[in-house]
Amino acid sequence: MGWLNGTTIAMILFAIGTTALIIRRDLVIKLLALGLINSSGILFLISIRFRPQMVAPILPVAPGVPIADPLPQALVLSAIVINFAILALSLVFVMLLVERYHSTDCERIEHAVESERETLGNQRPLDSSRTSQPRRDPR
Amino acid sequence: MILPLLPLSHVFLGLTAIAWKASARATLIAALIIDTVLLGVALSPAGHWLSEASVGGWVDAIGIRLALDSLARDLLLLTVLLELAVVIYIWRRHVLPTFVILLQFLIGSVMALVLSQDLFNIYVILELLTLVSFLLVAYDRQTLQIWASLKYLILASAGMSIFLLGVAVVYANVGSLGFAAIGQAVLADPQAGWIPLAAALLVAGVSVKAGILTFSLWLPDAHSTAPAAISALLSGLVIKMGVVVLIRLAAIFPLGLVLQILGAITGIGGAIYAMSSRDLKQMLAFHTLSQIGYLLIGMSAATHDAANGVLAYALAHGSFKALLFLAAGTVHDTTGSTDIDHMIHARHQIPLRTRAALLLGTLAIMGLPPFDGYIAKAPLLAAAHGWANQIILLLFGIGTAASFWKLLPLFRGPYRRVGEDSAWQSYVILALPIVLFLPIERALFGTAFSLPVMNGFIAVESLGVVGIGWLVYRIHRRIQARPPMSLFRLETATVAILVGFAAIYALLKFA
Repeated sequence: MGWLNGTTIAMILFAIGTTALIIRRDLVIKLLALGLINSSGILFLISIRFRPQMVAPILPVAPGVPIADPLPQALVLSAIVINFAILALSLVFVMLLVERYHSTDCERIEHAVESERETLGNQRPLDSSRTSQPRRDPR
Repeated sequence: MILPLLPLSHVFLGLTAIAWKASARATLIAALIIDTVLLGVALSPAGHWLSEASVGGWVDAIGIRLALDSLARDLLLLTVLLELAVVIYIWRRHVLPTFVILLQFLIGSVMALVLSQDLFNIYVILELLTLVSFLLVAYDRQTLQIWASLKYLILASAGMSIFLLGVAVVYANVGSLGFAAIGQAVLADPQAGWIPLAAALLVAGVSVKAGILTFSLWLPDAHSTAPAAISALLSGLVIKMGVVVLIRLAAIFPLGLVLQILGAITGIGGAIYAMSSRDLKQMLAFHTLSQIGYLLIGMSAATHDAANGVLAYALAHGSFKALLFLAAGTVHDTTGSTDIDHMIHARHQIPLRTRAALLLGTLAIMGLPPFDGYIAKAPLLAAAHGWANQIILLLFGIGTAASFWKLLPLFRGPYRRVGEDSAWQSYVILALPIVLFLPIERALFGTAFSLPVMNGFIAVESLGVVGIGWLVYRIHRRIQARPPMSLFRLETATVAILVGFAAIYALLKFA
């Protein structure tokens, strides 16, 4: 099972994530797939300089023991925080979409958005102070 | 240690605005003053001593290095220019403190990005830019905006994961993330097996943010639905950040052919979609794609003059595209729509100053002398070697002219004074570089560089391009062909990113 290391698992996760992102129509599942893709990047970054028998780079370390490279582990912390922020924000926006369309189905949202664009293009209200004002949906 | 202050001051001012909401507007003024002073010091001959900094004082191999090179100077100038214009534009409008805070973070991260000299720092800041522009695009919470920005977030985040994989491959083989160290490693062994994979991952990842077809299929929706001030910043400035990273990568990896092919696809594809677009903001968004094509072709030439041409064109494009987007915002406010037919029909309701701004922007983007579009394109045309590049650049010009000819009826009479455009000062700010581009360019890049402007052949050529553009416009109007819009769906865009990555990898590996 020597091939089953962090790098190959990261590749598999990335493949699963992208496949799900492309073929699944549910927006929530798409976001989970995105989380999977992002996690695969993190796993890849951590495991790429790791060899078996290395110990975590936390002092004190016994002399002569090979230490894992600490820099990727420091980098990964920022990546994890960023991915958390992206997932949280996008879920909020999915909630806004669900409030308006009562669906998380991508095709249906896309159709609804298209028809909204059509009607907006034909008859847009004359309203001169809207550029930077937030519009909250009354629902 | 003045250099980190440039981005950090925006973060502090943003935090001030969070803590003390009433001060939000004042922080915009403070930011402008700080930026102008710091940029003035940095651009002056006395500013050489602050051209480099290492944040936190770590050694270069693992520290965060910032450097103020010609690329950073050029884009910082553009940043401050657009910041000024946008602040004036939103000044008389009702703006919530949150908007100001996000604006501060956006400009701060742009400044941090142009100064960054290592790959992981760039990854973090690109993600920060994604998050902030995601919130700003959907600022009005209209459904179109929410869907556009959600698509943007998903695609940009997937792209950044690909970029992170590239960062990991580089780190595994070089052991450092600074550009200087990577460049040395590539020079030492140009045939190493990791180079095509790392370059393909990094280029594919950053292309998602750089407005390059077929990677940035989120762009037309996001840039056309965002509030006008934000569209101006996104199209004029934020999209250049991906290009900045590409310029830095092109200095390390052998990307000439890849950039040429991506540039051709981006420029011609963007122009074709722009020609058949019937909405002003959407057309401008497609034209962001086609103008990125110019930058890529210039980068692929890899000569000193071409590199300066790219910088000059980035500056020029930022100014006229921001002017067009801001004016489009006023058109939307006064006529209630940015639909081109509706706009032309209701042209008597649009304030004269707005129409003048649209005219100036149109002339500049078409590349007519003596405006900055022409002055910046001339060195690119002169530096592009080989017939392939020349033909590609001619096609870009024709496509641009053809799509902007349809705005022509907008500038016919009647010229009655209607309404006031509260934002005309910001048009003046942006019109200054459009009209006075030659002295700016000479100051930034030296006098020898701007010689092609005087070349009579190039001047005649650009007039001819605009003429052929008119013919193409007439023919296209007769045919009424429309390219498919289903290309811009989430699934298609994801597949396009993966296919694009595979194509870049194959090109780098086997060509």
